[in-house]
Amino acid sequence: MAPNAYGECLDRMKITATILAAMSVIVSQTATAAQPAAIGKFEITEVAPGNYVHYGSLQERSPQNLGDNANIGFIVGERCVLVVDAGGSLAVGLALKKAIRGVTQVPICHVVLTHVHPDHFFGAAAFLDDGPDFIAHRNYPRQLAARARPYLNYLRRDLGDLADGSEIVQPTMLVDARLEVDLGGRTVLVQAWPPAHTDDDLTVFDRSTRTFWLSDLLFVEHTPVIDATITGFLAVMEALRKVDAAHYVAGHGRSQQPWPQVLEPQRRYFTVILEETRAAIRNRKTIQQAIDEVGLAEAKHWAAFETFHRRNVTTAYTELEWE
Amino acid sequence: MNGGMHRIATVLLALACAVPAAANEKAEPDAARSPYWEPIRQLMFGDRVINPDGRDVIRVYLNTRADDASTVPVAVKAQIAQTDNDYIKAIYLIVERNPSPTAGVFHFTPSSGRAQVETRLRFEDFSFVRAVAEMNDGKLYMAQRWVKAAGGCSAPNGKNFVPEALLGKMKLRFDDSFVTYGQPNLVQLMIRHPNESALAADFDAGKVPQFVRSVKVSFEGKPVMDAEVDFSISDNPNFRFYFSPQDKGELKIEVEDTHDRRFTHSVPIAEGSPLPGG
Repeated sequence: MAPNAYGECLDRMKITATILAAMSVIVSQTATAAQPAAIGKFEITEVAPGNYVHYGSLQERSPQNLGDNANIGFIVGERCVLVVDAGGSLAVGLALKKAIRGVTQVPICHVVLTHVHPDHFFGAAAFLDDGPDFIAHRNYPRQLAARARPYLNYLRRDLGDLADGSEIVQPTMLVDARLEVDLGGRTVLVQAWPPAHTDDDLTVFDRSTRTFWLSDLLFVEHTPVIDATITGFLAVMEALRKVDAAHYVAGHGRSQQPWPQVLEPQRRYFTVILEETRAAIRNRKTIQQAIDEVGLAEAKHWAAFETFHRRNVTTAYTELEWE
Repeated sequence: MNGGMHRIATVLLALACAVPAAANEKAEPDAARSPYWEPIRQLMFGDRVINPDGRDVIRVYLNTRADDASTVPVAVKAQIAQTDNDYIKAIYLIVERNPSPTAGVFHFTPSSGRAQVETRLRFEDFSFVRAVAEMNDGKLYMAQRWVKAAGGCSAPNGKNFVPEALLGKMKLRFDDSFVTYGQPNLVQLMIRHPNESALAADFDAGKVPQFVRSVKVSFEGKPVMDAEVDFSISDNPNFRFYFSPQDKGELKIEVEDTHDRRFTHSVPIAEGSPLPGG
């Protein structure tokens, strides 16, 4: 998602689902108050043979969801398991590991850190015991160095003691362009992209089932987030479209739309922001006017719009005003 | 949903919301009783009297809820005309809870046309942003707004990476296609600069952060707006202000940063010649 998402009570009050979630979680937390933080219910879905996805909550991080806010998962080979992101806290990482062990006993050899956002990486510490390669984009270490401290602070602010054990894990293997990983009986392509969602986005492609793990290069349901460049993101999406995938996994949300049509809502959203922001700049509107006006018609299509949309417009304006 | 059920849900939501609400005050505090303001006031203005209700002289415009704490647009606008006898000579722009609260001191003259500046600010925590106008006779007037935004100063510096070759490059955009003599003309100054925050997590305590510390705008050698600024200003510093030329001439920008680098940019201005970005 994005670096520091602040909860807005009013928005959440509008969502009936939240009420139910809050009720059930508070009850379950009361019952297990003395236990270390643990995810109660953790479902995985086999989207293609050997490709297992856990769909995270679309809500913002909270003590109730323990940072389980992103889609994560794993691919099982004959010799090795490859993990695609570890979730937003140690508790999520441990739940994922438990789910893996419910499927297979082969070693966990690789953990891909798809980009530098905390909802995807704070669970990585759960896999340190397994001694895997932690694979990240060439630009990841620089961003991680810049963001580690505030991310840890925000995690503790949001989760309190429930953040205990969530820690920064440094990558051990960096990808410049492409990396082929042999899991035994199947190979997986890890691909680095130019700046888009962040400047350190990786995707994972399982060749045997043509399953494409896009992480936050694809949002469905949840408002797409721009943390690097809107023009770059649109350019990367054009390249993504050409990938011959049979199955896909988004970074947030789930959809029944086929590939590559599933890219369309996000492309439309970015195009609206791009065109309206460029028009605002051309018409000498200030950044504040653009923030107040651009893209509001998109609100009905996306979750967490209030939290992320205006920030996207701010990012787009500060990029596009230099064109 | 029946009444009882509704009450339970409301109580539970109050609990669910308690964490962020406690971490950051949500309600606007009383501006006159802010504990953060008093030491700043002492340091900057000493015993001088500040009219706390300066809305007839100066106003601050920004959204109370800011979406990106590292880029919060703000406008400070004089409510009076700049005349030779009666003018605002400085505006102090203060984000009272930032580690370095004075975002900028902007100096104006009667030939500025209008004492107004728009820029973009970083907010480290929920804070009042205050503008104090200093008149040519020394009187001080204050206005403020409460802003809910946090984390903007400790956010990483690297997000909008500025390549060395672009550092200090400037762009001027005018609000109109052509200049009008004898009237305030709105101009936007854009400076390519990381404007590093000393608070950013990736920042070594031993280093001097690179940020723009001074911006001088002149027309034919006469000051239009001089500003001393700091890292409470967002990266790629951006200022909108007025200038009021009487005849053709050169609008010149001189920028200096904390690493003693100097950057200059100038554009010729003449009635009938198209303005850049206009």
